[in-house]
Amino acid sequence: MRWATRSGPHVDRTACAWLVRRFVDPEAEFLFVDDPDEVPADATPFDMRGVELSHHDGDCSFETVLRRYDLDDPVLWAIARIVHEADLEDDRYDAPEAAGLDVLMRGLSMVRSDQEVLELTRPLYDGLYEYLKRADLLGRAPA
Amino acid sequence: MSVGEWVLLAYRLPREPSTPRIALWRALRRLGAAQVVDGLVALPADSRTRERMEWLAESVMDARGEATVWIGRPGSAAQERAIAGRMRTEVGAQYRKLAAEAAGATAGTPGARKRTLGRLRRELRRVRRRDYFNAPEREPTMAAVQRLAEDLERVAA
Repeated sequence: MRWATRSGPHVDRTACAWLVRRFVDPEAEFLFVDDPDEVPADATPFDMRGVELSHHDGDCSFETVLRRYDLDDPVLWAIARIVHEADLEDDRYDAPEAAGLDVLMRGLSMVRSDQEVLELTRPLYDGLYEYLKRADLLGRAPA
Repeated sequence: MSVGEWVLLAYRLPREPSTPRIALWRALRRLGAAQVVDGLVALPADSRTRERMEWLAESVMDARGEATVWIGRPGSAAQERAIAGRMRTEVGAQYRKLAAEAAGATAGTPGARKRTLGRLRRELRRVRRRDYFNAPEREPTMAAVQRLAEDLERVAA
């Protein structure tokens, strides 16, 4: 399936792409557009104004994707809290990791293309998932 | 001085329920947006502020309001100076409040003072995020918070 989002992805869009590819559609192909009107008819848009998989009721797009696809893995929701704070900074959650992640993503998008950013962030989110999974099991920060 | 690009949010929200109005007002305050007139707010445009305004517009639509996002330039440098000056004054007052708290945190246990330091640093970070025009109060406030940190290090040593 093809998935489309706005160009210049930061935390919410890179995290959504990772989530989709790992938990929703392993064959996912991603394309980037500058305007919602440019989304091809066969592509599922996300993190864009006026689409289903986007910000709703104070949730960021990552949270919306979790709800839409009934992904109730607590580790994914732990990632969601970080993504939410990085994206919205509204203090709904206590996620001190958010500020660092946001800076890394913004910097990365300055030196790499959108597709490269997606490829580079995949192992990063895999690692974040693994870390938070172990933290969840141990009840404290692993190592 | 040449004028820069701004992102503007024009919105209208129903009077009731009041929750979305309050949520929007809080979000705009956190962003440090300038109110141009009733229902029109502005921020200097960059990728972050543009995106924030887009999502705020979306939240207004979700609350059955109307919202459009615009990119524009002030018609004159004087207009831009006026609005930037207002924003700088607002942020400056927030800096001064933090600086006064940092300077006043001389009493109390080291533990309590350390918690105060943590809070002041977090708040300072937030204020700096909305300091779009380099308010002159920034440096002295950062110095005041740093002095508190150094004081505490001496107490611990």
